[in-house]
Amino acid sequence: MAGTLVELTPQQISAFAAAEPPWLVERRLKAFAEALEMPLPRSKQTSIETAGFVAPGLGQAPAVSIGHVGDGAEIMDLGTAIAGGRAEVEEHFGRLFAEEGSRLSALHLATFAGGVLCKVGRGVELTEPLQVALDLQGGSLFAPHVLVVLEEGARADLIVELRGEAGSEVAVRGAVEIVLQDAAQLNYTEFQRLPGRVQIHWQRRADLGRDAKLHWILADVGARLAVADTRTYLRGDGAEARVLASFFGGRRQHFDFNHVMVHQGQHSTSDIEARGVLQGKARAVYNANSVIRKNAKGASGWQHEHTLMLSDEARADLIPELEISEWDVSAGHAASAGPVDPMQVYYMESRGIAPVAARRLIVAGFLASLLKGIPLADVRDRIADIFQEKVEL
Amino acid sequence: MARPELIIEGLRVGIEGREIVKGLDLTVRGGEVHAIMGPNGTGKSTMASALMGHPTYEVLGGLVTLDGQDLLAMSVDERARAGLFLAMQYPAEIAGVSNANFLRTALNARRAEDDPVPVMQFHRELKARMESLQIDQSFAERYVNEGFSGGEKKRNEILQMAVLRPRVAVLDEIDSGLDIDAVKLVANGVSQMLSDDMGVLIITHYQRILNYINPTNVHVMMQGRIVRSGGPELAQELEARGYEWLREELGIDEPLTEEA
Repeated sequence: MAGTLVELTPQQISAFAAAEPPWLVERRLKAFAEALEMPLPRSKQTSIETAGFVAPGLGQAPAVSIGHVGDGAEIMDLGTAIAGGRAEVEEHFGRLFAEEGSRLSALHLATFAGGVLCKVGRGVELTEPLQVALDLQGGSLFAPHVLVVLEEGARADLIVELRGEAGSEVAVRGAVEIVLQDAAQLNYTEFQRLPGRVQIHWQRRADLGRDAKLHWILADVGARLAVADTRTYLRGDGAEARVLASFFGGRRQHFDFNHVMVHQGQHSTSDIEARGVLQGKARAVYNANSVIRKNAKGASGWQHEHTLMLSDEARADLIPELEISEWDVSAGHAASAGPVDPMQVYYMESRGIAPVAARRLIVAGFLASLLKGIPLADVRDRIADIFQEKVEL
Repeated sequence: MARPELIIEGLRVGIEGREIVKGLDLTVRGGEVHAIMGPNGTGKSTMASALMGHPTYEVLGGLVTLDGQDLLAMSVDERARAGLFLAMQYPAEIAGVSNANFLRTALNARRAEDDPVPVMQFHRELKARMESLQIDQSFAERYVNEGFSGGEKKRNEILQMAVLRPRVAVLDEIDSGLDIDAVKLVANGVSQMLSDDMGVLIITHYQRILNYINPTNVHVMMQGRIVRSGGPELAQELEARGYEWLREELGIDEPLTEEA
């Protein structure tokens, strides 16, 4: 297997990172050496062997646009942060992949380029959401890294948008690392609306300290192949994490999403709620796993997944799992997939709404209830509109 | 515009191959309030659902016209736009769609695409209607029927009727499961709308809602047919004596089946 990586050499990586501090070059080379030894992540339902993001190429940085930034917070291009010698990057970059990595996470750490550093200082409570867009322009392989650090007691909303030029056929191999120190709270919204031929492999990791609180609000509509792996480590006692994941696939889009909550802290709570809509020949593979480790007393981990199937040719595989190693916990899951409820359509029709309009509204509503936590109405409405316009009936 | 007129002639309706409504004749005009009463399982709600075009009911025969148009030839949404309204016994819940958005979409479905109802005007009107039905303003942004109590669902049906202003409104057991205060509220909401521009057909098991909405015509339905028609005094007689005497008088002795 390692043979497929020979096109890339340590010398190329060193040259690529020549302007970077030595610690980072070392980390890249170490990750590359590990990548050679590691297997590709396996999914029975999704074949990624030939995907562009598996290629051992050097990454390219997306264009980063940053919105308004309130006092006490900083957002900057990751390249700028590295050049400026920011200590947060050295302290946290790649750290959350140490526990469970794969060839793709190692390859990402070895070849990443650009991205974002977002930091909110101790005790700072932002009143306005932070907004960042990562834009794929030109190129062939993008490898951004998003690093978010909230210090003790900080509170923030961050909205990240992934987008690209129409018709783009690039690949993306990227990662998000979120560090929430004790009692920090983050609403992290991510809106993936990449062009229809893009292939993306996206790995998210979060580490939650005591009483820290994280909401992942994830909306996926774009890309030809989107594989995302999200792991949240509820390390501190009383940590709380939620996933609110919505996705809408059409034509031949293929989504493969994996959400894992790892409970280490006592009385930590997690909830995964995913809602998907599939039409055309789209396919979604949805895995969720709530892991409750020994000693995570009083932990609770719940999962709810529901997919609306708008066509007979679409396919959804929902695979909920629980791994529980402690007695005093509560956990459970529910998963279902089915068509739009004809009684809802009938009800709307009985008020004069044409069946196509009724279905659009039902579908948009089904997904929109997961967008409630997005702090900006215009972002929320924009995502809901894109969902609604996507319905082909 | 002429007074609304709904004419039902010889309507027969079945479900899963079983005939439930077996030849029903009824005419409802603007300004009239008809009450159809009767024991459970006699086809009252089946008739209402078939008028609206509920997908599980099959019309086996008969003719229904609304203002001269063939209602049974229309799709459900066309029937609604032609002026028929059905307040449902079990309205659907629609997550993620606010009541305001739902109603605005329904109103705009009745208008030209380039002439939607002005947003401010819509909200003003909705607010006024909610006030008269004693519905909290937060209702507008709540999702359609989601998490609503039984009473809230019924009031929402009446609110929709008030905003959509149908030609003929069919209220299917709008009083079931409500306490007396809620029945009064719903009845007042309907009474406020009564005019020659709307005909009303109230389907009910109980007489009590008719204490607050005066019917012009009362009909008793048994075994899929209207077996007796009269004025308001018929409702009072049924309230006082039940249905048994009528059953005996008409020689109906087969046991009644419970309505699903």
